[in-house]
Amino acid sequence: MLVARGICKRFGRTVALDRVDFHAAPGEIHALIGENGAGKSTLVSILAGRLAPDAGTITGADGPLRITPGTAHGVAAVFQAPLLFEQMSWEENLALGGFRRSTRLRPEALAAAARAAHDLGFALPVPGRRVADLAVGERVRLAILRALSFAPRVLLLDEPTGALAPAEVEQFLDHLGRLRRDGRAVVLVTHRLGEALTVADRITVLRRGRKVAEVPAAATNERDLATLMVGELPPPLAASTYEGAPAVLLSLADLMLEKDGRRLLDGVTMEVRRGEIVGVAGVEGNGQDALIAILAGLAAPTAGRLLTRGALALIPQDRDLDGLILEMPLWENLLLLEPLRRRFAPRYWLRRRDAVEFCRALLARYAIRAGGPHDPAAALSGGNRQRLAVARALATQPEIVVAHDIARGLDLAATRELHRQLRQYAESGRAVLLLSSDLEEIFQLCSRSYLMSRGRLRPLGPADRQAGRFGLMLSGAQG
Amino acid sequence: MSARALLPSLAALLLAALLVAVTLLLLGVSPTRAATGLLDGAFGSPLAITDTLVKATPLIFCGLAVALAFEGALWNIGADGQLIAGAVAAGGIGPRLASWPHPLAVSALLLVGALGGGAWGWIAGWLRARRNVSEVISTIMLNYSAAQILAWAVHGPLIEASRAFPESSAIAASARLQLYFAPSRLNLGMALAAVLSGLAYLYLYRSAWGFALRAIGRSPRAATFHGLATTRVIITTLVLSGALAGLGGAVQVTAITHRLYEAFSPGWGYEAIAVALVARLNPLAIVPSAIFFGALDNGAQAMQRAAGVSAVLVQVIEALVIIILLAFDSAAGRRLGRGLLSPATPDSAEVDA
Ligand SMILES: Nc1ncnc2c1ncn2[C@@H]1O[C@H](COP(=O)(O)OP(=O)(O)OP(=O)(O)O)[C@@H](O)[C@H]1O
Ligand SMILES: [Mg+2]
Repeated sequence: MLVARGICKRFGRTVALDRVDFHAAPGEIHALIGENGAGKSTLVSILAGRLAPDAGTITGADGPLRITPGTAHGVAAVFQAPLLFEQMSWEENLALGGFRRSTRLRPEALAAAARAAHDLGFALPVPGRRVADLAVGERVRLAILRALSFAPRVLLLDEPTGALAPAEVEQFLDHLGRLRRDGRAVVLVTHRLGEALTVADRITVLRRGRKVAEVPAAATNERDLATLMVGELPPPLAASTYEGAPAVLLSLADLMLEKDGRRLLDGVTMEVRRGEIVGVAGVEGNGQDALIAILAGLAAPTAGRLLTRGALALIPQDRDLDGLILEMPLWENLLLLEPLRRRFAPRYWLRRRDAVEFCRALLARYAIRAGGPHDPAAALSGGNRQRLAVARALATQPEIVVAHDIARGLDLAATRELHRQLRQYAESGRAVLLLSSDLEEIFQLCSRSYLMSRGRLRPLGPADRQAGRFGLMLSGAQG
Repeated sequence: MSARALLPSLAALLLAALLVAVTLLLLGVSPTRAATGLLDGAFGSPLAITDTLVKATPLIFCGLAVALAFEGALWNIGADGQLIAGAVAAGGIGPRLASWPHPLAVSALLLVGALGGGAWGWIAGWLRARRNVSEVISTIMLNYSAAQILAWAVHGPLIEASRAFPESSAIAASARLQLYFAPSRLNLGMALAAVLSGLAYLYLYRSAWGFALRAIGRSPRAATFHGLATTRVIITTLVLSGALAGLGGAVQVTAITHRLYEAFSPGWGYEAIAVALVARLNPLAIVPSAIFFGALDNGAQAMQRAAGVSAVLVQVIEALVIIILLAFDSAAGRRLGRGLLSPATPDSAEVDA
């Protein structure tokens, strides 16, 4: 049981939360929704005791809480950017959780973790890997397992499903149902309204730091929630209309990548032409990282050929670790991209003023909610970080955009807006390669698509579109 | 990098001063007597002031060396060895420059000193970038090596003509930096240090290289993903860092000592870590920070005479400042901690699925 009253939190001039009341009741799943930058993560951090509110009180089952990290009060949280022991192996991270309070790896701790993972349908990473080297999905799964290992009375989850595969989401939500039956309190932040409606008992909507609604899930619907969240939604996409010559901009021929005796890519062949958005669907860990590494020039293919015509910009899957440098100001984050570096540091000196101005314009044009170009990237909300990563890549006007899980963390309106931008981008005679585990996104957006499974690609036809078959195929595709 | 960022340093200084004052009171010593003694020794006369500046000069060079490397999360503990390497190089050619015109001789000496320090830094850089050897360990080992090489040199190949004392022959008169303010030992080295601190600031915060360095220091993973040349930056940075320290050694030779002897550095390279941390790695703040430490060193004897407390007390003050700063300044402390715990960067280019 956790009751927050009159919570206020400011960051400089930004009002992140303004007199917000919120509660997590035993046996209830309480969904917390709202546009990017609405204050959801801030509220979760405050409930978890990671951040002190400027005003307001939090009462637990045993009376008012002093703000201390939460596990002592039976609260466990999965933060939007998972908080883990980066330099330790994932096993040690679990051993330091509730499974066993010891850094020594007792077999029973691992066995308990393995059972929990199995219950959730989560695959565990390769043994012994350091957390700093894990991919987004692996990190989120690990954070979930860690949180659950404390057997918390209150479980706070900040957008956990965005990084999970569709089949995993289903099992995970089922598990939340079991926790509810056990009398636990669950708080779930999500951008997927359908998810909130099916799994939650109660839904709270935040908008610009204010609570604008708290309704029983049974008494509302997707349209109403969307209106409460963001006002008018942009219209859905119209069909694509590129009529220029379909010259090939990116061509992969029989790409192979082997590492440590494992075949990460196995004969990947694909062409991306002007005017196209080509999709690569698939569950994380089937070679997507390897493909990205090759496209980014970080790995050389063992065999095969890669041809690009024109500049290529990458939007990585992990905005926090690969895309941005959170400690650096926004304008310097722009310079990470090579074309922008060439533009704003053509020779020896940074053209600081120009870069700052450019950044300011970009923030306005892509509706990124930030204090200004000098703010560190860490001050942006998750969704706004994603917008920055996207805006930065598109701003360089590359011929080819390669985007990996591009809508993760974006709210409904921002997702639609982004899809519109990508469509427009392709229609202007350039090309987009979209890697995603969200099939709906792939089918909505792409002119052609493939399924990636165990390092191989196979084209997807219209017949594959029935969602049922997809779920099956995707879960079966896991390596 | 704003002036506000330096507030924690000032707070740490005040708190350290307070702690020391309380301790002195408990020991029955008047803190004001000790403080006046200290200030008098450091700033009480023109000669005291210039001496403070002279003491601060090698700390500026080494402080800049440390700051530059630390900004890239390269924990160069080896400024001392690099300074000695520079001094040995300078002291080695110094006696041979008798026929050179003065400006040329001095420039050559300084250049050789920078090269010597740079070479010493390069070793650590190469090991780190190519072999993933923790620079914390390699630079400490290189400190010992440099000290031993110096000892060997002044007992052997560089020993002065009479072979009576373990020190090198004096450098040629033409290679000595003039002392314009005699009898004070103040020299152009201080001015050179100040100019370099400005240049280092421009390098770090205004240049493309500085940007790459800071990016790599904050997130080697993101820097690699975006194709910043991490290997090259690591090596270049440790070379530059070593060159700065080596230059400090050469300045010391050309202006002050004119020769080499065994205990050439009293640990400037280590004290410089404190100097750089108090300056929050801001090159411009390194000058006042180094002067502060120089003043402590310079005033210590006077304090001992005036208040009867051991001169070692200043080392306690220095240590307190650092501990307080690291304890309360979470960002720098955390980064340093992270670096010391796992100094070698993960190979973020690693592909796995
Ligand atoms: N450390 C910080 N410093 C400055 N501003 C911050 C900081 N953390 C959050 N903010 C600001 O507070 C507001 C709320 O952020 P929060 O992360 O809670 O949003 P959110 O609802 O979780 O959004 P998203 O859906 O994008 O994750 C944003 O405007 C954000 O920029
Ligand atoms: Mg958030």
